[in-house]
Amino acid sequence: MGVSCVYMYPVPEGRSGAHVVEVLQKQVETIGGVKMGSFVVDCESYLSIMLSVSKTLQILHNTEYPASCFAVLDSGATLVADTLFNGLLSHLKAYYQARKGSKIESKGNRYQLADFVIKIGSVTLSGSFKGILVEVEYCPSVIASECWNLMKELLQSLIGNIAESPPPSLKMKMDEIYTPAMTMLQYLEHFNNFRKAAAVSQPPR
Amino acid sequence: MAAPSVNISVESAIEHQIQEVRYDGQEIYVAPLSMSENLSKLAHKIDFYKDESEEKGKPTSEGEKESDEEKVLAPFQPSLWPWDSVRNKLKAAYTEISVLYDVLNIVKEKHYMVTDPVNQDGPELKAPLQMLAKKRSLVAAAHILSNGAERLKRVQNEMASVTQENFLMELLKLRKNWRLKKVHNTILGELSYKSAGSRFWQGGTFEVLKTSDLAAEGEIVPRKSSLDVIIPSELEGVAYILVEVKSVVSDLMNITSATLKMPSSLGPVSADTYWQLKLETAQNVLFCKELFAQLAREAVQIKKASTPHMVVGNQILTNVFPGVQLSIVLCHHTGKEKKVNLSSEKLEHNHVLEHSLHQLLREVHDRNLKCSAPHPVNAMLGMTRKRRLAGPRAMSRQELMEMGENESLLEQILKQTKHAVLRIRSMHVIDQMAVSIQDPQLCAHWSCLNSSLESSVRVSVTSYGYESIRTSLVLTIGIDLIRVVMKDGRVCTLSFEETELRDLLQWQICQHHTHSIQHLAKVQGWQVLSGIVSSGFGDMEAYGTTSNVLMASPRSNVIVSFHSNPVSGSKLWVKKVEPSIETHHSPAVTANKWASLSGEFQEVNLQLLEGRNLVGKIDMLMARLSLS
Repeated sequence: MGVSCVYMYPVPEGRSGAHVVEVLQKQVETIGGVKMGSFVVDCESYLSIMLSVSKTLQILHNTEYPASCFAVLDSGATLVADTLFNGLLSHLKAYYQARKGSKIESKGNRYQLADFVIKIGSVTLSGSFKGILVEVEYCPSVIASECWNLMKELLQSLIGNIAESPPPSLKMKMDEIYTPAMTMLQYLEHFNNFRKAAAVSQPPR
Repeated sequence: MAAPSVNISVESAIEHQIQEVRYDGQEIYVAPLSMSENLSKLAHKIDFYKDESEEKGKPTSEGEKESDEEKVLAPFQPSLWPWDSVRNKLKAAYTEISVLYDVLNIVKEKHYMVTDPVNQDGPELKAPLQMLAKKRSLVAAAHILSNGAERLKRVQNEMASVTQENFLMELLKLRKNWRLKKVHNTILGELSYKSAGSRFWQGGTFEVLKTSDLAAEGEIVPRKSSLDVIIPSELEGVAYILVEVKSVVSDLMNITSATLKMPSSLGPVSADTYWQLKLETAQNVLFCKELFAQLAREAVQIKKASTPHMVVGNQILTNVFPGVQLSIVLCHHTGKEKKVNLSSEKLEHNHVLEHSLHQLLREVHDRNLKCSAPHPVNAMLGMTRKRRLAGPRAMSRQELMEMGENESLLEQILKQTKHAVLRIRSMHVIDQMAVSIQDPQLCAHWSCLNSSLESSVRVSVTSYGYESIRTSLVLTIGIDLIRVVMKDGRVCTLSFEETELRDLLQWQICQHHTHSIQHLAKVQGWQVLSGIVSSGFGDMEAYGTTSNVLMASPRSNVIVSFHSNPVSGSKLWVKKVEPSIETHHSPAVTANKWASLSGEFQEVNLQLLEGRNLVGKIDMLMARLSLS
C-alpha cells in the first residue's frame, strides 16, 4: 500500500478512446512497465428516499482491495467495510435505492514498474465510454509530500503537464498517512465530474 | 315575713386535695377523680386475698380480739430485753474463755497433749525447683502431643497405602488427567490429541482394567497399582523422531540407514510400569506418528523444490544444500522386532530440530483449535481475526495473498535446518580463520539472542598493539544467505557457500592492513598519495583483490608502496628520491613528491624486518624512513 494519484487524461478531438489508451499502454511498456493483470474500480449511487432533501450514498469497489467496500457520503465521510456491506444494502431498500444507470467504472490494465504501480483505466458510464483515468501508485511510502516529487517525475513523463500539482483532494492531506480511502475519494471525484459532463451533454428526456 | 332579702352565696368547699403550694402562694390541686377512677380506687381498697368465708365463719369480735393481742405483744418484747444481745454475746465470750482455759490447762499439764513449734516458711518455694517442675510438666504435655501426632501420621500413612490399592481412587486420579467414558461394563479412555486440535485419523482408545480381575485368573503378582491400562497394539512401544543433518557426498542416498536406531536410554516399556507413564509413552507414539505422517504427506505434495523430497518407508530425505541432507526418521520400537545389530555408528540426532518439529505440529494443533467466532454472526465461519479485519482495514491484494499462503511443516523445518547448517558453517569458517591467521587477529561476537531463522555475528579485525585501529563487520545469517554490513556501510550478500565468506574475510583482512597503514601515515606525518581497497591492477591472482596504498614521507624524499593480497600476501616497496634531482619543471608537477613517482622501487623483505606483526614492522620502517 502506498500513495496514489489519479488524473484524468483528456481524449483529443477526433480520436477514439481505445486508441489513446493503447498509446498510453505502449508508453508505459516502453519505460519498463510490466503488465500484471487488470483492475476495476466501480461506483454506484444510492439515493435516500425517506428524507425530504435527498442525499446520495456512493458505494465503491476496487479490485486492489478485494475484501473491502467503500461507502462515501456527500460530506466525504468514508466508511470502509468488508464485502458483507453489499448484502446489507439490499436490506436497506426502504431507505436507500440505487439510482438507475448510475453505475460507472474504470477498467483497464495494471502495470508494475519497480516500486510504482500504473493503472490505465477507461471509464464507462452505463456502458458508454466517457474518458480515461490514469492512476500511479508509489508503494514504499505512505506520506504523500515525501514522494510527490518522485511521482510527479514519472507522471509528467507519462501524461505531461496535467500532473503539475497533486490532485485537489490529496492537496490538503499531503502530510498525513495515506489511506486507501483517499484513493477512492479521488476516483469518486473524477466519477462525479464524468457524471456531470454526461448530464450536461445529454439532457434528460 | 318580708325581710329584706340577703344574698347568700353558696360555694362548694374546697374538697380537692392540695398537691403543691408555690412560692407565690398559688395552690395546685390534685384533679378530682372521675367516677370510674373513684370506682377503681375503692376497688383497690378491697383485700381480695382475705378469705371471705373465714371472716364470715368467725365472729368479727374474735378477729378484733386477736388483733388486739398482737398490738400488745409487738411493742412489749423490745422493752422486755433491752440488753438481750449484749447478754448473749457476753455469754458466748464466757464459753470461749472457759474452753480456752481448759485447753491451756491441758497443755500446761502435758498429760494428754504436747505442743510443738511449727515451721513457718513452708510455702516459700525456690525458683530452680519451680522451673524444674514446670519443665517436667511441659515435657509430659509435649510427650502426649507428639504421641498423638505420631498416631495421626501412622493412620494417614495407612490410609495412603490403602488408597494406592484402591481402584476407585486410582480411577479418580486417572480421570483428572485423561478423558474417560463408560461403555457398558468397560471403561474406555482416549489418549489422542484430538481434543487439543489434532486431525489425525488414528485414534488412541485405551481400556481401563482393575488388576484384581487379572489376579483372580491365576497369577498373583504384587502390583504397585490396582489399575491397569490396555493400550492399542499399534501404539505400543517407544517412538521418537530422529532428525539428522548429514553431510553426504551423496552418490547414493543412504536409504538402508533408515533401519531402527534405538538409543539404549529409550528402552521398551515393561509391562508393569505405572499407568501414567504407559499412557504418556503411548501418547508420544501417537504424536510422532502424526508428525511423520504430516511430513510425509507434505513431502509428496510439495512440487516446488528443485530436488524432490524422498519418502522411503519410515524415512524422509530432503536436500538442504548440495551435499547436505536432512533425514527425518520415525523410530518406533515396539520391542517385538528382532534385535537389529546396531553398528557403532554414532547417532547424529539433532535435538534442536526435533524440538522445533514438535513445536511446529503443536502450533498447527493450536491453530486448529482456536477458531474465532464469526463476526457478525451471519459471517463466514472459520475466518481468522486478521482475515475478518481485512475488509475494514482495506488490505491490498498483495497483503491478502500473503495471508493466504500457508507454509507447510516440511518447508518450515527445512528453512530452520538451512539456517542451522549455515550458522554452523559460518561459525566454523570464522573460528578456523581466527585460529589460522595470527596477524591480524579476528574476533567474533555472536549475539546470544537469535531466532530459529536468523542470527547475527560481529567480526572485528585488529592488530596486536594497534587495537584502536579496528575493522569490524556485521554478518546477518539468514536462511540461505548471509548479509554482510562492512565498516564503511556497504552491504553485500553472500550465498551459502563457505568459500565466499572466507574470501570476504580475507579481503577484509587486506583492507585492514591498508587502513592501519594509512592511519600510521596520519600519525607520523606522512602523506597518503593513493589508497585503493580493491584495485583492479596488479598481478593475476587465483582469487581476491589487492588493496594498496602509496605514501610519501614528510620530507617527500621517500615513497612507500604497500600491496596486500589474500593469495600472494603483503608486499612493500620503497623508493628513495634524491632531493637534488630536479630535472623537469613541468607546470603539471606542482610539488617535488610527484616527480618522484617514477623510478626504481625496491622491494623490502617484510619477513626480515623487526616487529611483532606487519603493522608494527611498517610502523618502525616508516619511523626510520621519515628521519632519512
